[in-house]
Amino acid sequence: MSEVVENPRGGCVLAGINSVLGAIDRVCPIYHAGPGCCMQSTASDQGQSGNKSSCFVSSVSIPSTNMLEREVVFGGTQKLQSTIQGAIDIIDADAYFVLTGCTAGIIGDDIESITDQFKEEGHQVYPIDTPGFAGDSNLGYEVVWNTMINQVVEEPLKKEENLVNLFGIIPYHEPFWSGNLEEISRLLKKLGLKVNTFFTEHQNMEHIRTSSQAALNIILHPWIFKGPARKFEERFAVPSIRYPGLPIGASDTKRFLLMVGEALNLDDRLVNQVIEEEDDYVYHYLAQSIGTLSWKRFAVAADAGTALGITRYLANDYSFTPVLVVITEPIFRQEDKERIIAELTNLEYARPPKVVFASDQYEINKVLMEEEDLSLIIGSSNEEEVSSLKEVQFIVAAFPIKDRLIFNRAYAGYRGSLTLIEDLYDNL
Amino acid sequence: MIETYSGIRESRPNRYNDLGSTGDAAEEDFRTGCLKKADRSFAQGLQCQQINSMAALMSLEDSVFIAHAPQGCVGCTSMAVDQYRVGQAHRGVKHSKNPRIIVSNLDQNNVIFGGESKLRKAVEEAVKRYQPKLIFVLASCASGIIGDDIDAIVKDIQESTQALVIPIHCEGFKSKICASGFDAAFISINKYILKQEKIKKQEGLINLFAPVSISYADQVEMERMLSLLDLKVNYIPFYSSLEKIKEIPSAQASTSICKVFADEFMKALYEDYDIPYSHTVMPIGVRNTDIWFRGIASVVGKEKEAEEIIQREHERILPLVESIKNRLKGKRVFICGGTGRSFAAAALIDDFGMELVGLETPTYDEDAQADIEYLNTIHPNFVIDIANMQPFEQVNLVKKLKPDVFIGVPEWAAKLGIPTTHVLDMKRPTMGYDGLLFLGNKIADQLENPGFNIKLSQHIKLPYKDSWYEEDAFKYIIGGN
Repeated sequence: MSEVVENPRGGCVLAGINSVLGAIDRVCPIYHAGPGCCMQSTASDQGQSGNKSSCFVSSVSIPSTNMLEREVVFGGTQKLQSTIQGAIDIIDADAYFVLTGCTAGIIGDDIESITDQFKEEGHQVYPIDTPGFAGDSNLGYEVVWNTMINQVVEEPLKKEENLVNLFGIIPYHEPFWSGNLEEISRLLKKLGLKVNTFFTEHQNMEHIRTSSQAALNIILHPWIFKGPARKFEERFAVPSIRYPGLPIGASDTKRFLLMVGEALNLDDRLVNQVIEEEDDYVYHYLAQSIGTLSWKRFAVAADAGTALGITRYLANDYSFTPVLVVITEPIFRQEDKERIIAELTNLEYARPPKVVFASDQYEINKVLMEEEDLSLIIGSSNEEEVSSLKEVQFIVAAFPIKDRLIFNRAYAGYRGSLTLIEDLYDNL
Repeated sequence: MIETYSGIRESRPNRYNDLGSTGDAAEEDFRTGCLKKADRSFAQGLQCQQINSMAALMSLEDSVFIAHAPQGCVGCTSMAVDQYRVGQAHRGVKHSKNPRIIVSNLDQNNVIFGGESKLRKAVEEAVKRYQPKLIFVLASCASGIIGDDIDAIVKDIQESTQALVIPIHCEGFKSKICASGFDAAFISINKYILKQEKIKKQEGLINLFAPVSISYADQVEMERMLSLLDLKVNYIPFYSSLEKIKEIPSAQASTSICKVFADEFMKALYEDYDIPYSHTVMPIGVRNTDIWFRGIASVVGKEKEAEEIIQREHERILPLVESIKNRLKGKRVFICGGTGRSFAAAALIDDFGMELVGLETPTYDEDAQADIEYLNTIHPNFVIDIANMQPFEQVNLVKKLKPDVFIGVPEWAAKLGIPTTHVLDMKRPTMGYDGLLFLGNKIADQLENPGFNIKLSQHIKLPYKDSWYEEDAFKYIIGGN
């Protein structure tokens, strides 16, 4: 199913799984994999997420069986057993997840029989038998949630009507994940909600275990999480709403908050009051710098969630001209592509941009190069080359990011939209 | 008859990757043949050799790099890509390029039915897109285990391809020592580009082999030093090209900036093209820079000139080193690094009168023995951990040894509140006489102002249980004695 690709954005499914687990407090992945997989998978996702990595264990700190020729020939379950035992003995984690690399997948080591032994002894050791070659980092996000639903999330003892689960912002695979989750969470809290982000505020396995008590799943992404959402609904009766991509700026975030309000039957007055306060906050700033950024004809090359958010915001609220949007992750379902195109076609005043789906760097460069009348490119570190050749303004605002340091910077929501405008300022 | 070297560093005799010992004991055990191969029953992740093969070549001009692998196996190229972009900026390139990396993206189907068609497609795309002069095809664990015969596929493709298509056997599972990946790359360069053809010698031309981790400032310093001996440098393979690679056999001599980079290749160049070489140390610190410089000078018969230059450089540098020494004298140091850097750092600290209490380095072999013999004459009783990183062992040792400063990857020791510094700076100077001053001032400044690490350690806990720090750091090393 996967295709030959130049400069892929992100790693294999293992990289995606590792990134998600690395963002949960006190969770330790254990690799049953080749000697380089810990480093490769961390470097591909966390390493390109604005130069930060998991606070707990990452890269060469991750326990690993480092499978060599001997394990390839004779199997590596014995090595796995002593590696899990060592991890339990020395690493102070709340849970351990055993991941399989290509080597373990191809030779067919039965990891579940090993993890079962540890489970029987009362240890929180969970198998995720999805070898690297099974897919890319985006799939990893869904694999983790499917694992959680199947093995970790408990039947709800009660329902909490003001509790929501936030999905769709992928840790590290989205360099601004942390700041974006904080901003979205801040807004939802103003609506009186309790928010499971799972990855901020030291949220941990306990939040995952009890996530079945939530009243609503909010998916902030145009296509990911379809399968897990259905499972959540079937198993735990938690319904989902999907907001297609990152809400950025006053109009977009208002639309998001109204959608949440409607799904949860929140008090209209409260929702409108929050929207008014936040509108006032951003416009009070925007009004202090009118005309400082010149008119731009822009292109975005980014993952769908980021591309939709940035395009809607700059077109609808900032009166820039959207010319071209390149969606850079492979998207397999036609319905998802249509949803994305619909969002980009349905702009308030602006004429719709050209939309291209391309994951291959050569093709991405080619469509950007061919677009003649551009004055701004918003993309990843990979688009620096084409922007330089075209000699147009360029900002790095999407994965992969290797030439910026990103901690809690957010582009989402009300406050994030101001940061995006700050970053777009160009004194040249 | 010389046996063909496989590129797997473990295949050389008396080379050990898993050992916990002290300087004295290790020296003695190695000498008496008492060291044995061991393993770790628990370990943390390593660096695979494919990472090194990729990184070594990635700045070559007019080249495309094809990883015959699932998508994840180009993860670590992100570091080399960044290094390449920054390297271009330092070299004044106006429009920095991305390296052209194509992954064949082996998936579930290919694992069962083979990935040949995808490899062919990748090469086709490489040619169509970039008309490169060189196409490297890098093997992976997956391609190796499923048995894709990349040599045969490449041979067939080569018949209809103008670019040189070069397979590199860097399957990760074949070696625990990531430096094997350097050897795999050079073996292929010799086999597919140089092809045993002897060409006209160029008097005064030196092959200077340098890995990705060498900053532009360091390249300039090395070239400056060699130019003092009237030598011209062919800097390989970083920022070089097919043309420069083809010039390798015309050199008068070879040397390398790193102990485990091109050491085997230089042997092959001697055997195949009569090029003498100097394999010494990494030129960090006064002692090592002297050794490195004398090494190459003696190969080209310029010992006398070298001594005069060393004398001059010492007159210039040593008074300045003395002022740094006053700030660092007597400080206790723990060092962790790759083979070249760790021993170089250990020698460096002697310039500043510092004391070695712990040394972590990936491999123990004859080369290491020479360094350890020297270190044992200066530093009594330091601990040796033969480990490729293994931060769990490192933090255990660092916490017990309580050094005044840690030299190496700072991530873990910093969380223990120990002042940290590094001799691996891929973007700034480290090497030669000039690099020494930058480095010395950096170490002294960081040691004198440790506020960040101290405060960090008050808020951040490493992931290990308190009980781990009470245990023997080498508990999980099994076998060996």
